[in-house]
Amino acid sequence: VPEHSPSLAGISRVPGEHSPSLCILADSREICSGPEVLSCLRAVHRLRVQVCSLGTSDYIVSNRLAVDRLLQSELQSPGNRSKLSQRLQRLQGIFERICVIVETDRVRPGETSRCFQRTQYYDGVLSALVQAGVRILFSSCQEETAALLKELALLEHRKDAAIQVPTEPEGHQRDILSFYLSIPNLSYGAALNLCHSFSSITAVANSSVPALAAGARLSRPQAEELHRFLRHDFDLQLLPQPLPAKGK
Amino acid sequence: PVTAGSIVVPFGHVIGNEKWRGSELAQRLQGKVKLIFEDGLGLVDFHLSNRTCILLISEADLVAGDEFKRRLVRFRNASSLRGIVIVEKTQISDQYYPGVQKLVVLELGMVLLPVANQGEASQLIIQLVSVCVREQSRDRSSNPFVRRQRAERAEPALLQAVQRIPGVGRSKALLLLQRFCSLQRLCNAAIHELEQAVGQTAAQQIYTF
Repeated sequence: VPEHSPSLAGISRVPGEHSPSLCILADSREICSGPEVLSCLRAVHRLRVQVCSLGTSDYIVSNRLAVDRLLQSELQSPGNRSKLSQRLQRLQGIFERICVIVETDRVRPGETSRCFQRTQYYDGVLSALVQAGVRILFSSCQEETAALLKELALLEHRKDAAIQVPTEPEGHQRDILSFYLSIPNLSYGAALNLCHSFSSITAVANSSVPALAAGARLSRPQAEELHRFLRHDFDLQLLPQPLPAKGK
Repeated sequence: PVTAGSIVVPFGHVIGNEKWRGSELAQRLQGKVKLIFEDGLGLVDFHLSNRTCILLISEADLVAGDEFKRRLVRFRNASSLRGIVIVEKTQISDQYYPGVQKLVVLELGMVLLPVANQGEASQLIIQLVSVCVREQSRDRSSNPFVRRQRAERAEPALLQAVQRIPGVGRSKALLLLQRFCSLQRLCNAAIHELEQAVGQTAAQQIYTF
């Protein structure tokens, strides 16, 4: 449990005063796949790490930047291609900026260091990522990945894009957050911002595009998409048919 | 002379800095890509297209000191081209990599790709060229990481959202959406209007939410 009160944490902090106000959201799967990343972020770099069910990316570093951690072997295998491209395309709909950290696979004790065979496929994936505007960082281990995440968070903080709202809503706020999270293409960070900046869902629903952009810290096109969704007229005919049978 | 400006690259060609003529890298590229050598490319080693170019940092550059950093900063200040930095990351130069990465990617906002030797560099350049060629021929759909714009129906998502209201399941959500049409109108509904749609208890829950 964080020590600070959830009311104004972060907001009142002076930009430039570093570590304690830096916050990173981590996907709960990282508890299993990147435990040293998480503990390094907390213990070495003194970041506030909130583990939550992000689903979309491994980390959210600021209001606009999502980071995915990929093992080098995952980029080597063509079997992963469609999964990876679906995941990154989805991220592009939600975040302004995307970064992947390519981490060298760990050599298990007793295993001789496997020689990394660079394939044409691997180079092709890197080239396609570069062309798609995805930022790529390389890391040799989980500790280094944590250091890179901290650097990214620091950079985003300097650009005034850091996550500065309480990340653990309680009670009724949790239900409200769950409601916001069901809105398509809205990031976990934006949903938290909505919880924090608006008194109620009704206030959100009645807001203008600029007010939504400011309150949720969204880009103009993203705020427009949210605005459209809130005002979209439901048409029963457009639900996918047949309706999925429930509980059967 | 310090040149970093754009030059015209004929479609499907690569323009290489004269200094690479006869090198292992150039030999491996020849036959795979249409390579033309030119003098006076200045800071740039290879131009892949009118807007993409490559700067190579060798193991020796890394070990020698900070000269390569000045070269990268000069390029960044002088050019609006997309600069891809390829760096030779070997056992010897490995220790410098994190520092180079911080400078190139985080501070200069350029692309940095590590290779083990000139052979790997040539393979990587061949792939980069093929992506550039596809991009120029406007065949962007071939890139699996570029997002395709497709209009998704809002209806299933709306139904999902309304079901997040405590006490509202699928059938009540459908009733509410058919009556009030949009989330905005549902939010602004008076309690008696909600009661007409879903009954007193649920209406109270929705209203307080």
